[in-house]
Amino acid sequence: MIETGIPKLDEYLEGIPPGKSLVFSVEPGVEESDVGIHVLHHNLEKGKRGIYVVSESSPKNVVRKFADFNWDVKRYENLTIVDGYSSLVGAPTEEKYVVEEPHDIRSYEDALLEILEKNGGQEGVIVFDSLSNLLDMCGEREALEGIERINKDAGSFGFATIYNFIAWPYKEALLYRIKRTFNSIIEINMVEDVATRQRLTIKKIDWNNNEGKKFDFKIFKPEGIRVYIPKISVIGPYQSGKTTFIKAMARNFTPVERMGATVGVEHATVDYKGYRAEIFGIPGQERFLPLLDKLGASSMGVFLVVDSTKPHEFEYAKRMLERFGEIPFVVVANKQDLPGALRKEEVKARMGVQEDVVESVATTGQGVYEAFERMVEKILEWLNAR
Amino acid sequence: MLAKTGIVRLDELLKGGIPLKSNVLVYAPPFIGREIILKRFALSGLEEGDDIIFVLTDKSFKDMSEEMKKLDEKFSEYESQGRIRYIDVYSTGVELQETGEWVTFVDSPINRERIASSIIQLIKKEGKRYRLVFDSLSTLIVYSDAKAVFRFLQVLSGMCKRSNVTSMFSMTRGMHEEIEVQTIKHLMDGVIEMREEGARFQLRVQGCGEVISRHWIDYLLEGEEIRLTGAFRMGRVA
Repeated sequence: MIETGIPKLDEYLEGIPPGKSLVFSVEPGVEESDVGIHVLHHNLEKGKRGIYVVSESSPKNVVRKFADFNWDVKRYENLTIVDGYSSLVGAPTEEKYVVEEPHDIRSYEDALLEILEKNGGQEGVIVFDSLSNLLDMCGEREALEGIERINKDAGSFGFATIYNFIAWPYKEALLYRIKRTFNSIIEINMVEDVATRQRLTIKKIDWNNNEGKKFDFKIFKPEGIRVYIPKISVIGPYQSGKTTFIKAMARNFTPVERMGATVGVEHATVDYKGYRAEIFGIPGQERFLPLLDKLGASSMGVFLVVDSTKPHEFEYAKRMLERFGEIPFVVVANKQDLPGALRKEEVKARMGVQEDVVESVATTGQGVYEAFERMVEKILEWLNAR
Repeated sequence: MLAKTGIVRLDELLKGGIPLKSNVLVYAPPFIGREIILKRFALSGLEEGDDIIFVLTDKSFKDMSEEMKKLDEKFSEYESQGRIRYIDVYSTGVELQETGEWVTFVDSPINRERIASSIIQLIKKEGKRYRLVFDSLSTLIVYSDAKAVFRFLQVLSGMCKRSNVTSMFSMTRGMHEEIEVQTIKHLMDGVIEMREEGARFQLRVQGCGEVISRHWIDYLLEGEEIRLTGAFRMGRVA
């Protein structure tokens, strides 16, 4: 099985079986849309053979593209580049595998077949930097017929094929044909509300039932692809430990404290297991209650932090939560290390919530990531249910 | 609402300028003043408070910047205010090791996706007016084909209209088949066409909303200026 290395997507794809072809179909204008190169890099790192077919930009640019993510192209002896660019623009090339006739898809087939035959049975992935360009240069029908042959050849040598495709306004008939030709189509669109990000949706997959699954992501340089949640709010009564909870999760943190009390909205970024979330801490004093709607607007989820030794505050805490309406939440039963702290089941019962209470000791970090993981899961479930 | 071209009598001909948010093709053979129209359009935008985006496929942003500074001494100031952005589709391809604060480099004219997404990143400020100077579409067409560039323009012009961008695209006369030219013209709101007729230079306007005349008008090239000399109004003498 071939992995993409993209968090969450691999879970939905359950691995790409060799012989399968997958298209990342990107809405034009999406910032940082080159997902294929991340799949290539992941497989190179795993020691698999990676074949990168470039037709849109010079092979020299591959070095730069890699360098954006602090990857050193020279490290990968298992990388082979097929140069479909230089002949197109009449530029000199130092590459071993050159597509002599970039307007003829068979020229690509020849180059690839030669590499696959010499490969010695190693599993791998062929990544095309631009399916759209192949269609434009080689003729739509001819290109797709050739690509079908390439996909078949690749399969017989234990390879999966990955294509970046920019969904320019092509004719419907062609888009339909593309959908039929490939085993999986993954659509990438732009989402712009509280923050710009990309939404990935599995439009077609013929080896499992995860069609329709989606999540939001962003490509960060140099870190790479992260499942991205632009806003999670942290609320809770005064002194319940919200700031400590955020600090325990966060990579960076902007505190707004005065004499130990938070007096404004705190912000932190959490980077954890391929997920990145922006966390906003909202102060717990009663006087901030009327502002909750505004400060918490466009949140994708809410952490409600309560002091487990102060059940008399639970009612107020619930009122805070209600202001957010129907969005994913996790109750963090904090200060479990203090005497008299109510346990999870007790907090559930007293707050009248069915599930999603996580015990924590924010001062030591205990339970903090458990709460984060649960939150991310709930947000994705919510997004997928919509 | 109109965007002045910055060439006085051309603006008269256009009854004030080209309509805001429209896209106009400047279609001309080399060396007869096409670039002057593009540069004047940029300068006039700067004077009116618009931000400028240059997309350059045939020269580096540095060269363009130098040329603009020669035309207007205030250009350096505009540049340092961040009101001029360049999408340089030239330098990386010819391995010029350029850097610049206001520049996005795109490695190849085939990489239309990068060009489009780079433009989009620059036109996000709400309420802001922009002018886009795209020089030239010919390079894009030569490296791929007119249909592909047509699709690119379809997407780009939609984005520009949504984001308050008035654009000028250039295309070189004599480099393309007629069908390619028609394909591109089809997507434009107007065309300023230029030609050399014997010893005379002429231009005419197609589309661009209301104009005074759609006939060929004589013009003179004087250094970095274009001066329309032909008559397009009663009482003027050619």
